[in-house]
Amino acid sequence: MEAFFEALLGGLVLGLIYVAIAVGLTIIFGTLRLVNFAHGAFYAIGAYVGLVIAQRIGVGWAFIAAPIAVALFAVLLDRLVLRQFYDKEPTAQLLVTFGIALVVEETLRLIFGATTQQYQMPDALQGSVSLGFFTYPAYRLLFAGGVILMLALVWLFIERTNYGLIVRAGIRDRVMVQLLGGNIRQASTIVFALGAAIAGLVGAAATPIYSIDPATGFAFLVPSFVVVVVGGLGSFWGAVLGGLLIGELQSLTNLAYAPASNVVIYLCMALVLLLRPQGLLGESEVIRQ
Amino acid sequence: MTTSTAADAAPAVSARPSLLWRDVRFTVLCALGIALFPFVLHPLGGYSTLATQIAIVSIASIGFNLLLGYAGTLSYGHAMFYGGGAYIAAILMLRAMPQHPNLWLAVGGATLGTLVMAVLVGAVTVRLYGIYFALLTLAFAQMVYFIVEQAKDWTNGDDGLQALPNALLPIGPWNLDLTTHLPAFPLGPFGDLSDLRMWYVFAGICLLLVLLLFRMLTRSQFGEVLGAIRENEQRSSLIGFNAPGYRLAAFAISGALTGFSGALRGLFDGTVPVDSLSIDRSGSFVIYTIVGGVQTLFGPVAGTAVIMWLENVLSAKTPAWRLIEGLIFVGVIVFLPRGLATVLRQQRDKNPRALFVRSLRPSTEEPDPLLKAAGEGHRGGVMSIIETFKLGKLFGHFAAVRDVDFRVDPGELRAVIGPNGAGKTTFFNLLSGTIAPSDGTINYKGRDVSRLTGTARVHQGIAKAFQTASIYPDQTVRQNCRLAALAKVQGAFALQVFRRSSRLQDVDALAERAMARLELTGVADVRAGDLSHGDKKRLDIAIALATQPQILLLDEPVAGMSKDEARKTEGLIRRLATEMTVLVIEHDMEMVMGISDSITVLHQGTVLATGTPEQIRNNPRVQEAYLGGHSQAELAG
Amino acid sequence: MSAPAESPAAVATRLRVDKINTYYGDSHVLRDISLHIGAGETVALLGRNGVGKTTTLKSIVGWQKPRTGSITLDGEELVGRDMMTIARKGVSLVPEERRIFTNLTVAENLKIAQVTARKPGWTLDHVYEKFPRLRERLTHKGDEISGGEKQMLAIARALLQDVKVLLLDEPTEGLAPLIVREVENVIQEIKAAGITTLLVEQNLYSALAVADRCYIIDQGEVKFEGTPEEVRENEDIRRRYLHV
Repeated sequence: MEAFFEALLGGLVLGLIYVAIAVGLTIIFGTLRLVNFAHGAFYAIGAYVGLVIAQRIGVGWAFIAAPIAVALFAVLLDRLVLRQFYDKEPTAQLLVTFGIALVVEETLRLIFGATTQQYQMPDALQGSVSLGFFTYPAYRLLFAGGVILMLALVWLFIERTNYGLIVRAGIRDRVMVQLLGGNIRQASTIVFALGAAIAGLVGAAATPIYSIDPATGFAFLVPSFVVVVVGGLGSFWGAVLGGLLIGELQSLTNLAYAPASNVVIYLCMALVLLLRPQGLLGESEVIRQ
Repeated sequence: MTTSTAADAAPAVSARPSLLWRDVRFTVLCALGIALFPFVLHPLGGYSTLATQIAIVSIASIGFNLLLGYAGTLSYGHAMFYGGGAYIAAILMLRAMPQHPNLWLAVGGATLGTLVMAVLVGAVTVRLYGIYFALLTLAFAQMVYFIVEQAKDWTNGDDGLQALPNALLPIGPWNLDLTTHLPAFPLGPFGDLSDLRMWYVFAGICLLLVLLLFRMLTRSQFGEVLGAIRENEQRSSLIGFNAPGYRLAAFAISGALTGFSGALRGLFDGTVPVDSLSIDRSGSFVIYTIVGGVQTLFGPVAGTAVIMWLENVLSAKTPAWRLIEGLIFVGVIVFLPRGLATVLRQQRDKNPRALFVRSLRPSTEEPDPLLKAAGEGHRGGVMSIIETFKLGKLFGHFAAVRDVDFRVDPGELRAVIGPNGAGKTTFFNLLSGTIAPSDGTINYKGRDVSRLTGTARVHQGIAKAFQTASIYPDQTVRQNCRLAALAKVQGAFALQVFRRSSRLQDVDALAERAMARLELTGVADVRAGDLSHGDKKRLDIAIALATQPQILLLDEPVAGMSKDEARKTEGLIRRLATEMTVLVIEHDMEMVMGISDSITVLHQGTVLATGTPEQIRNNPRVQEAYLGGHSQAELAG
Repeated sequence: MSAPAESPAAVATRLRVDKINTYYGDSHVLRDISLHIGAGETVALLGRNGVGKTTTLKSIVGWQKPRTGSITLDGEELVGRDMMTIARKGVSLVPEERRIFTNLTVAENLKIAQVTARKPGWTLDHVYEKFPRLRERLTHKGDEISGGEKQMLAIARALLQDVKVLLLDEPTEGLAPLIVREVENVIQEIKAAGITTLLVEQNLYSALAVADRCYIIDQGEVKFEGTPEEVRENEDIRRRYLHV
């Protein structure tokens, strides 16, 4: 029983990481029509920046520096390389972002080495919390709460601010936004930076739980793509639903029959692509190129 | 036929010796290159082991290139074939023949196994396109990876299979041990012949054979059609090629070649690591092929050689070797768009200045026997050639077409007109099979074809020309027409991987006729993308014509043309209508009134009136529809 | 081709289109199209479908850039500029498909027009006054309202911004006769408010009722320029260019 609840909460934590990455992926796709295979790099850069700052200065600063650093990197990447690929076919985007992911991963490996690293949370946050009949690490709960809060803020931004209004309208009809004088390009850049920052922040925050090595970014990215496919490309709630679903599926399968835990998520992805390619909450326009 | 056309410039006998010479020359040069390669590599810091590995992996890259470069499809899961082949070969060696390891059986079994795997996976994946296809192949590859990793009893899990027995290659009475070295023969700075083992000779021969096979394949009829589908799938389907079938075949061949390569590698290395199934492995094929140059025969080989050599050399000198590899890859994608453009099917014409080349041949007045045979059931035929009953199409809640009862007799030239939102193009798409009806039926020559695909309908005799000319911009005009004729002659699918389409005389003849009918013979050898707008539109019609249709659907054939071009095209269409049934959607009323035998007016998705031009002119309801629902009287008052 | 009507020098030209040629790929859709609209005028662009009326509007707003020719707004050149810039200068297109943001509510559709506006046009109250139906539908999503309401919303959206030239593409298309009447009234109100308007309409009756001047386009060329009376009286012109 205890193991079950642990797995459930573990699935939630894992799922929330997927949600954070997937939300970034999906809103970037919605506004920019860009398939970003380099999104895992944002996670990884955030994690390493967080690591360095946490070890040198302090954990609190890490959570501020990481998203800012990643956002800056994202904007630079956009200006220098990705801009030319917005109108190209998704497979071209997949290829170039895959290449960028590779370059980033290797650069991180050169700088930080291949070993897995971690930093410790301050003592106050270590230790476990009692949840009735079992205990659970305090930081993980805090992490989960923090990610939920962050997602709520993102949701508020998209749903309740003027900028978010332009973003949402742009996801549906870029041209009409421009015909109304809206600056879709600026909104798109902001969305890109935001999506990256989310991944970076989560990267920094998740390191005490999952550790970081240069391959971690990509390791989280691939299941996040599964999430995006399952939830539906372009759908915020799809990313949320998909992320939690995949996270729990992975965690619970690991408990029930460990060898299948990775296979099952790809099976899920394959089934969705075959039976309902637009995903659970997505729209059926993007299937044919 | 004795009248002169280009088909008479027979390539048949006199050209064959030169083709044969080119093949021999190619084979010899390749063999030489492969033979010299390890020695060239030697001073550059490579060893025979590396040379052998490069030769083996190149085979997989060539296989991958068939899919990416020639079929235009990106797979992110080819590691499942590479690693799959390796594991199957290794497991066969360890379990099926531990006492008598036989290379043929191991490799043969692996190749067969991966072929079956590729057919099964392909059958399921080829329905999807682009990024969804790539992601689905990734998903399958990941599943295979994790299953293999977990099936420890068979595969040793994370440790991979190791210490494979030495494979013997039975040839005739001998059992060749491929690990034996070649006899000693010093070659100065290039090492010694004995550096090489028999493995390299074997791998080199395999590579040579694969190169020859691939060369033949890409020039074959199969390869020609595959290329056409890559260049313009929409057009290819609507001249009668079974696009998903071709992509499946390409996927299967590609997978089998990759599996073959993986098997060789596993047996050569003596170990099969679980990474051979990883995403990184899948990614490596992408990198080798893109860096080397897609759509070329040697590109994948060059790319594999360069990258693997770099890895080998640089990994000893600097830990940044993978970074350099990544930078090269990104650099190629960003700075060499032309190379990528053809892979990734960008069809935008790069040349905005069209070449205004006019056709020089006067058109013949006599009806063409070939076309005449196709246009059976002339005027006065009893049965309608196309008849629809209560035809309807819903898009969501919107009824683009509803309750359409439509009839046209063989040999008629019927114009379909109507004000905004009439549903004309949707109606045509229903007739051509591009979309399926929501209600009602379509009868063609008395048979219900409502459920028939567009591709099948072309073979029945229903051909369409598009509103925006859908052609093969990188091929010549002649080749455009030949492709359509080929579809007619060979059928929807033909696995002719050995023979060329040029042996089919009918194809050339049909293509020449089609070009002549649309007065394009003068530009037969011009690249289609460089044609003027008017010529492109006429080419689109010629393509449809080359499929020997009995009914031709023309969607706005003169749109965007100048007055002169429009009138000329009008004349050509009128002549075509003497041979077959022609349906035309047009907004140019002068043309419509001028050439139509009869006119159908659609309004808000349904038939408003059908009649002769005179009748339509005098029909007040038609005028009202065009004026937005008001009568002439209302207007005046 | 009928002689162009002499316009009195008093009305300043607000928008001038001068010999534009627009292509879709290689397809030469607009051939040397020229027209002008005076400040406060309502000009109708008539012709059958497929002749280039919508493309003309798209060329003006920068959606489909002309290859040659010039388009000036109060003397300022627009050709070559992007959609956002042209919209911000006050050239506002209400497209043929209306293009309501179906994932936003009616209120949000109105809001976004206010958010993106350089300068405000009508106030929200004024809009509710002229389009009372919209006030009742504020919380409905864009795809949950009727065709007529969508048209009203699309026009209201444009009016919330400071409009120098309003381009209406087939505003009455696909609407029931009663709603057509409502839209016609709205267009009359817009005219009364002095807003310079270029109206593309296939509904000849509606167009002639509100236009000060008309252009007729056929196969990408201007074939006629004149007053509504001239169109009403000329059966031959109508037959050749407007119906069959």
